[in-house]
Amino acid sequence: MTYKVSVTGYATPNAAAAQAAFAQAFKITPEKAAELLTTLPRTIKVGLDADTAERYCQALAKMGLNAEHSHHDAPAAKAAPSASATVTSAAVPAAKPAAAAPEAAPPPQPRAAAEQPGFQFRIDGAPDFAFLTVQLPANHSIKVEAAAMATMDTSIRMKTKLSGGLGRLVTGESIFVNEFSADTVAGEIGIAPGAPGDLAHVYLKGGEVLFLQNGAFVACDPDVTLETKWQGFTKGFFSGESFFLIRASGTGDLWFNTYGGMIEKEVDGEYVVDTGNIVAFTEGLDYKLEKFGGYKSLFFSGEGFVCRFRGKGRVWVQTRTSGALLAWAEQYRRVGKEA
Amino acid sequence: MQAQIRGSDAFSYLAVTLEPGESVIAESDAMSSMAADLDLQARMNGGLIAGLLRKYLAGESLFVSVFKNNTPAARSMTLVQPTPGGIRALDLHNDTFYLQPGAYLASTEGIKLGLGFAGFVSWIAGEGLFRTVVSGSGTVWYGAYGALLDKQVDGEYIVDSSHLVAYEPGIKLKLQLAGGLFSSFFGGEGLVTRVTGRGRIVVQTRSLTGLTGWINPKLR
Repeated sequence: MTYKVSVTGYATPNAAAAQAAFAQAFKITPEKAAELLTTLPRTIKVGLDADTAERYCQALAKMGLNAEHSHHDAPAAKAAPSASATVTSAAVPAAKPAAAAPEAAPPPQPRAAAEQPGFQFRIDGAPDFAFLTVQLPANHSIKVEAAAMATMDTSIRMKTKLSGGLGRLVTGESIFVNEFSADTVAGEIGIAPGAPGDLAHVYLKGGEVLFLQNGAFVACDPDVTLETKWQGFTKGFFSGESFFLIRASGTGDLWFNTYGGMIEKEVDGEYVVDTGNIVAFTEGLDYKLEKFGGYKSLFFSGEGFVCRFRGKGRVWVQTRTSGALLAWAEQYRRVGKEA
Repeated sequence: MQAQIRGSDAFSYLAVTLEPGESVIAESDAMSSMAADLDLQARMNGGLIAGLLRKYLAGESLFVSVFKNNTPAARSMTLVQPTPGGIRALDLHNDTFYLQPGAYLASTEGIKLGLGFAGFVSWIAGEGLFRTVVSGSGTVWYGAYGALLDKQVDGEYIVDSSHLVAYEPGIKLKLQLAGGLFSSFFGGEGLVTRVTGRGRIVVQTRSLTGLTGWINPKLR
């Protein structure tokens, strides 16, 4: 079990002093420290043991910074700290953590996609309450799920568009997708999905198609086309969620969210996912609904119907289902059901 | 006193170790576990009238709990907030900070809790007619639903209603439509808060309206 240490905020109103102390302790220039500590939370160390992480937090607290440490799975593909960072941390003399040199360039911990084509963005608060911040260059716009905008620069304008046609009315989602554009100057927009959980980003190259479970859409490039696709009665009826999937095609960024954590799975051959756990999958996969293990298990194991994917592609799986949450919460609801 | 915010963003909690003679003040009901020999005293939250105002107008409780260590050795306790979400610590040195209703969790002696009129703009924006004003010198812990993000504002910035958690006195709130008339009411964004001025704001990455918007259509 390894830990990571993140600076989560300023404990003092004097941010400059905290940054100066940070710069001194980590032997970096004050400018660099200011840059590092502008966007928070920021992970500064990974691969620590519990004691060292604790000492880091205390040292940071003395500098006037709020810090926390949390479990961190080193090989997690998403966090992607550089390998060198882990090595440096391991060599830290445990007695004086604050004086230890930081990695030359601490990995931009909230996932960023600088090397990708498409918009600059970052994801904070993952995996519990992932929050998307997208930098819009001037004269560019972005499509966002209705009501998901949380923060934005004043230079950004909002337009509401009917997107996806009537189909989206039936998917249970708002039929409106808002388009936010940076008309003359660049700006940023912060997007908060409704469900607690994680966010995933995919850059669709022309011709690539992704299917999203109804409700998973968060935002996309205006050049990405969203359509609703009728799953057919058998697939739709048993998949629990809805009769429709959202089909995303075109070129550009696409973000979607989960309820719970997210697992990305490469499929080559066959893979089985509970219907309620499916978030998204690539077009190359054929999917078939089937009963899990016979009628007896249908009624007694709680598994019911599953989706069997076949072919080559990727599936995104969420670690919780809304159905299970509702079933758990239902017994505590005290609303009049007769109305 | 030693205090640490632990747990992930989803379920943060505060672990406090009190040295002999030290005490910590917490929102009533915030204590989740503690050493058996810590002394608990309920204290009216700044007098009856102020306490009642805070209870009904700022979403806090009438009483706060004071936990004091009257033993000769260090004692530990844990404090939790009612909502899932992150907790933050803030050190004040004779300055002031505004918290949204319900965000206050705990503080050290030396921190004064007050009730401030946030203005009708704040009220219409869904942020509450009143706000909790923390001032003095010491540490205050607050939390909200979602992860908490800091944003340094210099000029103007737009925050959707119910995402604002805390802000510095240098920040003023204004109200505006998210877009045009049609967009604002059919696009699901409605009114947004325009924060102006210079200072730090803290934003929560989830909102209750987002949660209900997600879950209500699924309830039968």
